[in-house]
Amino acid sequence: MKIELSVNGERKEADVWPGESLLFTLREKLGLPGSKNACEQGECGSCSVLLDEKLVCSCLVLTAQAQGHEIVTVEGIAEDDRLHRVQEAFVQTGAVQCGFCTPGLIVATVDLLAHRPEPSDDEIREALSGNLCRCTGYQKIFDAVRLAARA
Amino acid sequence: MARLIRTEKEVEGRYTEQWIVVDEDVLEQWPAGPLETVGRPVPRADGGQRARGEARYTADIKLPGMLHAAILRSPHAKARVRRIDTGRARRAPGVRAVLGPETGPLTDEPPYEGAPVAAVAAETSEQARTAVSLIEVEWERLEPLLDPEEAVRRNELIDEPNREERGEVERGLAESDAVVEAEYRTQTVLHNSMETHQAICEWDGDDRLTVYISTQFIWGVREEVAKRFGLPEDHVRVVCRFMGGGFGSKNGPGDYTYVAAELARATGRPVKCALTRREENLDSGNRNSTIQRLRVGARSDGTLTFLDGEFVNATGWDGWLASTGGPMRLLYACENVRTVEYGAKLNTPPMAAFRAPGFVEGTFGLECLLDELAAKLEIDPLELRRRNHSTHDAVDERPFSSKQLLECYRRAEPHWERRDEVRARSDATWKRGVGLASQVWYGGGGPPSYAWVRIGGDGRAAVITGMQDIGTGSATAMAQIAAEELGLPVDRIEVALGDSARGPYATISAGSSTIPSMGPAVRAAAADAARQLIEIAAQRYDREERVLSLKNGQIVSSDGGSWPLEEITGLLESGQILGKGSRGPNPTGMRVLTFGVQVAEVAVDVETGEVVVEKIVAIHDVGRVINPLGASSQVEGGIIQGLGHTLSEERLLDPSTGGNLTQTLDAYKIPTIADVPEIVTDLVDVPDEHLTNLGSKGLGEPPIIPTAAAIANAIRDATGADVRSLPITREEMLRALREASRQPAREEVGA
Amino acid sequence: MDILRPDSLEAARAALKNGSVALAGGTELVPLLRDRIVEADTIVEIRHAVPRGIQGTRIGAGTTLGELEVDPQIPDALREACRLAASPQLRAMGTIGGNLLQATRCWYWRLKYPCWLHGGGRCFAHEGLHREHAVFANAPCASAHPSDVAAALLALGATVRTDRRELPIAELYRLPTGDDRRMTGLEPGELILELEVPMPAASTYLKAMDRKRFAFALVGVAAARSPEGTRLALAGMAPIPWLLEDESALDEATPLPGNAYKLEIARALIRRALVAVAP
Repeated sequence: MKIELSVNGERKEADVWPGESLLFTLREKLGLPGSKNACEQGECGSCSVLLDEKLVCSCLVLTAQAQGHEIVTVEGIAEDDRLHRVQEAFVQTGAVQCGFCTPGLIVATVDLLAHRPEPSDDEIREALSGNLCRCTGYQKIFDAVRLAARA
Repeated sequence: MARLIRTEKEVEGRYTEQWIVVDEDVLEQWPAGPLETVGRPVPRADGGQRARGEARYTADIKLPGMLHAAILRSPHAKARVRRIDTGRARRAPGVRAVLGPETGPLTDEPPYEGAPVAAVAAETSEQARTAVSLIEVEWERLEPLLDPEEAVRRNELIDEPNREERGEVERGLAESDAVVEAEYRTQTVLHNSMETHQAICEWDGDDRLTVYISTQFIWGVREEVAKRFGLPEDHVRVVCRFMGGGFGSKNGPGDYTYVAAELARATGRPVKCALTRREENLDSGNRNSTIQRLRVGARSDGTLTFLDGEFVNATGWDGWLASTGGPMRLLYACENVRTVEYGAKLNTPPMAAFRAPGFVEGTFGLECLLDELAAKLEIDPLELRRRNHSTHDAVDERPFSSKQLLECYRRAEPHWERRDEVRARSDATWKRGVGLASQVWYGGGGPPSYAWVRIGGDGRAAVITGMQDIGTGSATAMAQIAAEELGLPVDRIEVALGDSARGPYATISAGSSTIPSMGPAVRAAAADAARQLIEIAAQRYDREERVLSLKNGQIVSSDGGSWPLEEITGLLESGQILGKGSRGPNPTGMRVLTFGVQVAEVAVDVETGEVVVEKIVAIHDVGRVINPLGASSQVEGGIIQGLGHTLSEERLLDPSTGGNLTQTLDAYKIPTIADVPEIVTDLVDVPDEHLTNLGSKGLGEPPIIPTAAAIANAIRDATGADVRSLPITREEMLRALREASRQPAREEVGA
Repeated sequence: MDILRPDSLEAARAALKNGSVALAGGTELVPLLRDRIVEADTIVEIRHAVPRGIQGTRIGAGTTLGELEVDPQIPDALREACRLAASPQLRAMGTIGGNLLQATRCWYWRLKYPCWLHGGGRCFAHEGLHREHAVFANAPCASAHPSDVAAALLALGATVRTDRRELPIAELYRLPTGDDRRMTGLEPGELILELEVPMPAASTYLKAMDRKRFAFALVGVAAARSPEGTRLALAGMAPIPWLLEDESALDEATPLPGNAYKLEIARALIRRALVAVAP
């Protein structure tokens, strides 16, 4: 079936099968492998994208559900050549280690700061609790969010 | 001059003897402390690519015509295939090849749940998985052996039992004023790297193979794949540019690589074999569970009289006997030490190295035992550790190349002294306490490792080596080392790595060895290039070589005058300056180890068994620190993995079938950002004067080692309960509290 | 497989026939479909067919947990239950209607062991590992109901309106029996449309889990005080959301060897919840 959706501000069309996940469509058909596939269960957040400005796991959204909706992936966060302040903050504070969870965390942090420009530590804990990271120990992710909030 | 030496090689605590050709390390170490670039925080060079989602991991690589593999895995812990019919799978849409159990590494007698039995290659991963579900198998189920103690009784063992003894335990026992005996248990935990194990294999004709793989050791993969397919090693190219975590589980090629290679050969097309999260948690290795029966004796002044441990590792069907008794043998000065380690061979998935294998488990037991002894002797736990500090390796009398553990203890004091204040914040529900634990581990690295440094006409430099950056930021550390030696800003250094066809042999990224093994080779290569630059500059500017040096991108003469580096390199036009370097030998007759101590503050809800770790202070001695930003990140990452190990992570097997019940990340609970305590990192940062031209040791593993014991000791401090079994779940915490309340004679602790 | 996206209730009812399954947020159903625990010829996306939003005490079944947890009009117990239910990503998609119909997290069931609940002869959790399983009504199936939200609604005395009838939320659930192993009394194709949630004088939801966030309840305790009295309900303690007369009713539990600890936790959380809602 043909699905039309907006991805990172561009109109896209994809031929999908009914049970196909948005993550699969993004990675395999639309050339956007930034969103990562790490559990396919909605348990790790590596595939986080914005769907109509809501943070979701793209592995749990059927592409057919996204018909006519707006998607923003990690590839749509930076402004041209310049890193988005959230991306810059993640790099500067050392919040990126292996980086496999990073795209999901970047999108989740952008979403957090859109709603809470100056989040408290508890709000950071709450907002990023759906993004598992196995390398950093999260400490530097706090640093990154705080730095991005100040920027 | 190249020198042929017979040397001891250590990886993850396992020693082998081997011949190595080394170039003598002629460079003097840099002075201690932060230099121009080395010792200063530098954000990782490729961080932007990763943060943009542009870094291409093995998971993201798509080759033209690439097929996807899926593997049929045994649903039984021990079984035999009576009959297998792959006909329906072969005829399923998109299927291009099916391999049955006759093709290795597939098997018709799977010895554990998840062992690979058959495999399919299809146009899409979905088609491959569907086809696998169409393979019909008639199983003969056999009785699995799941109990490690039973395996030891039946002598079903991996490796020979490892018995080591120094002095005489019986003599030590006779001299003891106090003896403590306890049994500790640690659980099986799973690595859960965010990128699952995967490889893409592409043949070029029938005798050349390219392997793209998420690995910690491209040269190890090259060697093993070449051996398996009977190819010259140079006909196998292994590529790993970006890598999504390994923690020890990705040290070798694994069955999935061979499956991809076999299917690629059968179809003439590139084949990707990527494990799902479930497969990852079934069959990609684990930290094996242990049972530790420990005894310690001491004189009333705290001097240890003996240590005695029997360790049963539930190794699984394959793997090796991790050194669970290592901490007991190495951490303290004690004349009488006896350890016996068994590796139980079971119908469970094979263990794999996992961040300080053996030592994480063994330190939990030993360091809890020490605290129980301290309580019995009424000696301060930190003081007890000080009194038994060792000045040399008691196993073989070798001196340590460096040891700053007493300095670590000194720095721990102010955190340790918070005990009264922390305890005083307890109330009827929440009990608070502080605990600490020490750490010893290897981490000295060793030869061989090689690097090249190439300087072009534009005055930029490239470090070229066949190492891999598994996510730790070691590439950035290499850039810093080269920048320091070449007097260049770090942003004028490229590091080209992750391709066996484009650089010389480099170390495995395991056993905390990347920086100590690779760093000195990079420095030597940079120094070789720098020497050539100076020689050329001396001729060009008519100066003596000894007055010239490289600084801030300039050639500087001590008698006045400086010239931009590009001025000299520009003369070369397309010419290049090439430096080469190799890792020199480790100091002979010395033992190279890392040390540290962690202090944990916890709060325990005694009504619901909830444990909240509020703060961990990590003080470690790993020699010179190259990049404090990357280093503290390693420490924090190790601690949070340790926290999961301590409180929430456990692979659960059904006791009768041996089936893994925690294959997904809802059932297997790794910590979230909501679980992290405040973490304070303090690295002693004194170079090991005997170790290489850098004096740096590895830091990947030390921080995870003492975390569990520090937390358990803090829990004991807070509640008086002995938690001797990991993970300390709610039920374990409540059980320990009940048990403690039944022992009226216990020392009154807590507020 | 096919997917239909009806834009009215009538169209949705027409589409929901044998072999079809209703999809709302998808956070529960998509993994079940992927694992082939649920099989369907047709997915009927009902997001445009069921009400969404909050009006006074009425909550549309299509309202997401994320929308509920920030709404000051709804009772504290429900808001807390929504907030603690899952990760922000799952709460952004998952609907309250879907949450009530969640399947158990029993690992044997999720891994497709041929267990009683899958139509087989025995409950593997009884002989096997059951630390996360039910302590009430746990024969013949020890699976635990995972919904925090359902426990909150049970304590709050909510009413469910479907496309066919209205019923107290307690009647939405049924303990499975040998000849009918379903956990709800919904008829095939029946859709939850709305919830009526009376405003209590005070309410709360407390949850014990294996980590601080983003885990299913080992024990969830909801308490709501209204003029008629204080009602308690539990999540993660029985195959269905469990109404508890009072703390002493915990004595009637039939824990398995490995999950009696849940009662100890429940006792503490109940006492705390009662303090929290006391006048």
